[in-house]
Amino acid sequence: MDSEVPLPPPRRIRHRSPARAGTSPSSSIASSFRKARRLSRFDDRSSQPSSDPALFSSDDIPASGLENYNAPVTGGAGRKRRYRGTWWGEQVIDPKRKRADFKEKRQVDSGVWMGSDESTAESLLPSEDASAWGEDLLKTVLDPKATGKYPQGLALPKATAAPVLPLPIWKGLHESEQHKFARAVVNDCLEKGEDSIDLGNFDLREIPPGLLQPLQHLTKLPSVKEAPLSENAYSSLQPFLRVYLSGNSLTTLNNELFELGDLKVLSVRNNKLSEIPYTIQKLAALEVLNVSVNLLTHLPWELLRLLQHGELKHLTAFPNPFPSIEEGEITKWHRQPRKSQENGKPETSLEDQLRFDEYEGSPPKNAWATIHVATSPITRRDMEGNPIDDGSASVVTPVALPPSSSTPSAPSLRELALRAVCKLPGLEQVTDDELDDFPSLVAPLMYQARKIRAAGGQRCSVCQHEYVVPRTSWLEWWDCTPHESGMKRPRTSGEKLRPLPFQRHGCSWACVPRLQNI
Amino acid sequence: MADSTSEYVTLVSCDGFEFILPRSTACISGTIRRMLDPASKFSEALTGRCVLETLTGVVLEKVCEYFFYNEKHKDQANVPDMDIPPELCLELLMAADYLDT
Repeated sequence: MDSEVPLPPPRRIRHRSPARAGTSPSSSIASSFRKARRLSRFDDRSSQPSSDPALFSSDDIPASGLENYNAPVTGGAGRKRRYRGTWWGEQVIDPKRKRADFKEKRQVDSGVWMGSDESTAESLLPSEDASAWGEDLLKTVLDPKATGKYPQGLALPKATAAPVLPLPIWKGLHESEQHKFARAVVNDCLEKGEDSIDLGNFDLREIPPGLLQPLQHLTKLPSVKEAPLSENAYSSLQPFLRVYLSGNSLTTLNNELFELGDLKVLSVRNNKLSEIPYTIQKLAALEVLNVSVNLLTHLPWELLRLLQHGELKHLTAFPNPFPSIEEGEITKWHRQPRKSQENGKPETSLEDQLRFDEYEGSPPKNAWATIHVATSPITRRDMEGNPIDDGSASVVTPVALPPSSSTPSAPSLRELALRAVCKLPGLEQVTDDELDDFPSLVAPLMYQARKIRAAGGQRCSVCQHEYVVPRTSWLEWWDCTPHESGMKRPRTSGEKLRPLPFQRHGCSWACVPRLQNI
Repeated sequence: MADSTSEYVTLVSCDGFEFILPRSTACISGTIRRMLDPASKFSEALTGRCVLETLTGVVLEKVCEYFFYNEKHKDQANVPDMDIPPELCLELLMAADYLDT
């Protein structure tokens, strides 16, 4: 085969005569047969692609160009290179290489495990049974304390049993009874298409992760009734999602709850919440909210948006340890009671401020709306978000205040860097331990950035910029009496107002309420 | 060597890059302002040259960019965000902590 083979004209190849194909005297019939098979791509009757195969195969050999395609090659420049396979995925055939024996190839793992294949079964099973390994891993991930239970080398008692066991995902987790029960309730509701999820009085300290998420996809089941069908047999299949978390010991609400965009009724009555997160603004469909009997001192300002522009019709806020407006510090009263204007007195008493306008006949429009009663003084915060006292700031930390302008509106470099940090991919995966490795001054900021990232970012209520560290905060007192009664009745004439404190944040010292005459 | 009343100051990074910028701009940073305070009698205040041993040239360049950004948008109502490359944001956060800006 090493001897000279002139470039064969295509016609000849088509003949495929064994005597012509091999010029070497030593070539056996078998080898020439093999060769003929290799050349079978030139065969018209071949089942391979019908596109032109001829010129392509030897383009890279200069002597085999088109001009001397039919001429015999004179020098030892080489033989035509032969290819195997299709023209787009061709492989050069090494003529010296013998065809690999079938038995040699057979050593490759086929990936099919058969019961009779003893060697595979022995090599896999003893220590690292697939299901046991999975369980082990799960324990390691979810409960780091339980890792010591199954040392790597120890053969598990079940290891020689059938290797494919269904993975018990939540089995074996040290989950409290309450969480298990709560999960069972949620699963039951999902199963039955029940849109009222009652998780009341479960003694939950926190909402376990993954508990409420499936409720996003809750679907009601159509009610099947015997004929004759009445009108009210046809009801909407749109779930009227209600979640009752009352009577637990929740201290925080996690973001999963606020991902339920269809949530209509939410009750967190009788818990230990000290704050309602601003992410409640995501619950755009919310109609009834009960936050009573908690440890709230203020409500998020974003909740007010739900009252004014959203669907929220029924807010139950009392009792909660809200500060009373009589004791609170007020910078600006926003109402001009008609009575005081008539009297011409510039000074109005607190009672006048807290009394609704007197009217006769049908209630005016603002008898239904929320009323901005007052605004508290603004608390300015330093670059780390800690409140600074305006009065003593110039004495205690003279350098903390920028020298030239009193209200810098440009964000601090910390803030800018934190905004960039918030956009980093993978911030959610950073663990507490990793954050603790940061310098002590930076670590709290990183915690905050991670928290805000998890909540989906927060926007300044004044300038709509996304921000991380609030620089100003103040309370706005709004009266929501009609909403507290479920929009059933308007304010009566001269009714005493009972405003609620809503906390509002600004992203810079320039982001403060525009008060004309403070 | 500039004297303490010079209008410009020099910030030097740990790898030797020097940035010369107006004194008022550099004094946005609390740390630099204290360094350059004429009453403090620090050597930085006398020479007008601050060597910031903890900052590399790349970070200090971004910090200087921030100083001018801050100067420009000081009294503006709607401030656009400065562009911070993600690979620098952690180092800049540390630098901001150090420089008190």
